[in-house]
Amino acid sequence: MPTENLSDKRMSKFKNKGKEPMKMRDRRIAECVELRKAHKVESIMKKRNISSVGDEPLSPADNTDNKQVISETIQEIVANVNGDCPEKQRQGCQAARKLLSRERNPPLKEIIEAGLLTRFVEFLGRNDDPTLQFEAAWSLTNVASGTSWHTQQVVEHGAVPAFIALLASPMLNISEQAVWALGNIAGDGPSYRDGLIDCGVIPALLARLTPDAPVGYLRNLTWTLSNLCRNKNPFPRFSAVQQMLPSIIQLLHHSDKSILSDACWAVSYLTDGPNERIDVVIKTGILPRLVELLGFEELTVVTPALRSIGNIVSGSDLQTQAAIDAGVLSALPQLMRHPKSSVQKEAAWAVSNIAAGPCQQIQQLITCGLLAPLVDLLRNGDFKTQREAVWAVTNYTSGGTVDQVVHLVKCGALEAILNLLQAKDTKTVLVILDAINNIFLAAEKLGEVDKLCLLVEEVGGLDRIEFLQNHENNAVYRAAQALIEKYFSEDGDDQCLTTEATDSNFVFGASDLQKRFDF
Amino acid sequence: MFVTDIRKEFYEVVVNQVRNSSFFVLFYQYFVLINCGANVDLLETLQPEEDSVFFICDTHRPVDVVNVYNDTQIKLLIKQDDDLGVPSYDDIFRDDEEDEEAGDDSGNESDGSAEPSGKRRRYDEDALERRIERQRARREWEARRREILFDYEQYEFHGTSAALVMFELAWVMSKDTKDMLWWSVIGVTDQWVHDKIPHMKYVTDIATLQRHVSRHNHRNEDEENSLSIDCMRITFEYDLRLVLYQHWSLYESICNSCYTSCSFKLWSINGQKKLQEFLADMGLPLKQVRQKFNSMDMTIKENLREVIEESANKFSMKDIRVQTFAVHFGFKNRFLASDVVHAAAALLENVEKDETPTDNFIKALDCLSRSNLEWLHLGIALAKKKLKAIQQTVASCICTNLILSQGPFLYCHLLEGTPDVKLFSKPLALTLLCKYLLKAFVCSTRNKRCKILPLIMAAPLDVEKGTVIVLGIPPESETSDKKKWVSNSNSNHFYFQVSLLKMEDRGKFLDALIALLS
Repeated sequence: MPTENLSDKRMSKFKNKGKEPMKMRDRRIAECVELRKAHKVESIMKKRNISSVGDEPLSPADNTDNKQVISETIQEIVANVNGDCPEKQRQGCQAARKLLSRERNPPLKEIIEAGLLTRFVEFLGRNDDPTLQFEAAWSLTNVASGTSWHTQQVVEHGAVPAFIALLASPMLNISEQAVWALGNIAGDGPSYRDGLIDCGVIPALLARLTPDAPVGYLRNLTWTLSNLCRNKNPFPRFSAVQQMLPSIIQLLHHSDKSILSDACWAVSYLTDGPNERIDVVIKTGILPRLVELLGFEELTVVTPALRSIGNIVSGSDLQTQAAIDAGVLSALPQLMRHPKSSVQKEAAWAVSNIAAGPCQQIQQLITCGLLAPLVDLLRNGDFKTQREAVWAVTNYTSGGTVDQVVHLVKCGALEAILNLLQAKDTKTVLVILDAINNIFLAAEKLGEVDKLCLLVEEVGGLDRIEFLQNHENNAVYRAAQALIEKYFSEDGDDQCLTTEATDSNFVFGASDLQKRFDF
Repeated sequence: MFVTDIRKEFYEVVVNQVRNSSFFVLFYQYFVLINCGANVDLLETLQPEEDSVFFICDTHRPVDVVNVYNDTQIKLLIKQDDDLGVPSYDDIFRDDEEDEEAGDDSGNESDGSAEPSGKRRRYDEDALERRIERQRARREWEARRREILFDYEQYEFHGTSAALVMFELAWVMSKDTKDMLWWSVIGVTDQWVHDKIPHMKYVTDIATLQRHVSRHNHRNEDEENSLSIDCMRITFEYDLRLVLYQHWSLYESICNSCYTSCSFKLWSINGQKKLQEFLADMGLPLKQVRQKFNSMDMTIKENLREVIEESANKFSMKDIRVQTFAVHFGFKNRFLASDVVHAAAALLENVEKDETPTDNFIKALDCLSRSNLEWLHLGIALAKKKLKAIQQTVASCICTNLILSQGPFLYCHLLEGTPDVKLFSKPLALTLLCKYLLKAFVCSTRNKRCKILPLIMAAPLDVEKGTVIVLGIPPESETSDKKKWVSNSNSNHFYFQVSLLKMEDRGKFLDALIALLS
């Protein structure tokens, strides 16, 4: 269908453009602030050295023994683990597990270099000694929790089949540890994730998903499942997703918040992709439950649920409509007024994507009262939120009918985005200029360009647009100049008059506009 | 609710200066802040370049703890014997490493908005317990820190005058001059006149100054005693506590001095009678007393101070004399330090012409220089008007019972249309009025409780904009050695007990204040 293609093209233009550089910029700013803070603390420390009585390192024993003691302990562990005495093996394994479970600087690398992994993986198969199995599983879990290199060492020592076998262990704590370890391996990235799936991890996991499983166990299981849904390039294959989805949907109805959170994250990973992937999720009929979860109090649930919804409304118009039909629009206003700015931002992002839809969907935004909170966010949100809200306005003005655009301006959106023209972020400024242009196009259709010019000037927008002609960015400068030349220069007057004359039959629209300019 | 955050606006100006300085690194690397900056975290507020250095000479207390403990970028010019009472470093700052780690932990747990991590390590039960224990200890430490900082920052007060600190700095570097000495006398006297420091602190600082004065006078004696016409001489005086009396008539000075007018209760008929009795007791002819001081009979003037003191003692005014300094320019001009303070303040807050604050500041600065005596005289004339206005306002407030008890404090609101109300839209003038009014009220009422209550005063700031200026002063009988005032985080202005509000928000502000103080 040509219309759908068109809208898709437009969406790709709006939805993904410019996000990455912005993220990078935010990170840079954050880093700068961190550095500055660090420097400040440093200066304070300097002062302290001058006045303090004696600033020895806290406990010299603590520092020096670290390396030495660790290498000694590891030697002992190696001796014990490689021996034949089951008691010693258990002792050695437990000592290793303790080292790896310390909070600070666990000696992952040292343990690997001591060649202990081979033995640990071997121990996983020792069904006669559950304690040994458990200690080995825990140790390997923690080694796999390190960097990719650490995880790779665990996998290359053949731990994957051993862990999958352990899932069936009658001892719940051992099975749980295996679930955890597999989660760490799956979380490393798409290749190990698919490796696990090839080894049949999914049926083995799902077999343990029983109603009488304890909550703690289910939490680990849910998290591991979510890791199996996670990561792109490539996505997990469809068959695997189809296998897991019913269970994930089931978990989404659990009462434990932590399980709900991880299950929601799983859904958010599954929806973060092309429209076919979103379709698979929608077909499960989970949308009403997701919308329900949006109303939860716990941020850990609301955040992934909102992310999932946001992903879904970024899909095709039909998919967006499915979300609307599930009642998303009545949940969003509350989230746009959420005390957490991260939630506000995500909600605004969702709105921006709904606003990129056909005018019927835009009409639903109006009907469900989303414009007022949107304008509030434009005015008072933090910058990231404002940026999303600006996108919403631009999408809205490019796809909305003339009446809808007029309504948006009436709600105060124009003034709000004009204020944001002072933003430092070039991309945002360009998006705003786009929106202004769209609004002018609507005014042109109504023959009300003069009045719009007046309004823009009254709220100080003209000054800001003029000022942007000095902008260092070429695109901004050109966009600003185009606006000025088209609508604000003297000879533009004639044009306005002619359009007014030709469009004189838009009587209702004009009167609408007249009302607006009263204030 | 608050109309302007002057503090914020001011620092924004400074920020701009600092920011611009990054283009002129060669020119602006050092910043000197006089009577501002000590009680705000400058690094946080200004985000300066790392090599900018700030020298702060400020009387505002308490000094921000970060300013105290940062000595690479912040240099505080504060006298060693000023008791700062800064909390010890370890009570308010913690080691970097611990900070970071605890921050990480709590960050992951409290903020549920981040994506879960892809990998998780399983901790020991012991480690978990230890972590919980550490977090608990940290929370305790933080609670204690908050308490310590609250105690430290609870009250605002003033330290040694910046003028005196600068003078002593000059002295240490052997760059001190007699003019500078006089200016530091004025600085200290200003703190006393406007009630910024307790009397004991004033006496101590005066003693310090007296040593400097005698040193300077001694030095001059060596130089063949030639008194040229523009020579400047500073003398220590045990002079009368009567405002501007040498530039007024004795009678008017007595009427417009806070000390005497409150002692006599001059706003009552009884008080007027008492004044007549007092004059009669001194045996001074009315005609002479109402005469310009300059034209008074020399014989009367000769031992005037002793005569007045003797009679004042009989009328239970034991403190009619006070330690101060006078300056002589040539033979003709003699000024008490408080004369110059009143003149400079009047010029600074001149409302007669619509001049910019900058112009007024320049004029006030000019009047301190001995080549601009005409400005000084103009200032004295303005000060007289101001003092009269204060006296009249005090009388009318007392007589019409405008002072209300609001529970934890006294409250008085000057209505629009009160004569001279424009004068009191300025903080110094309003401070003076407040001080006189509270003293007068305490003298006039039988209610003993009023002695221990602070006074909050509101005056219209800008009638058109509907704004008011609100100011608070500590209780009259505040015995503590600090002139303390409850600081609330909202107050702004350099006199931090001053706030500017919208007229309609006054009620809200008072309610909040009542809640805060009771």
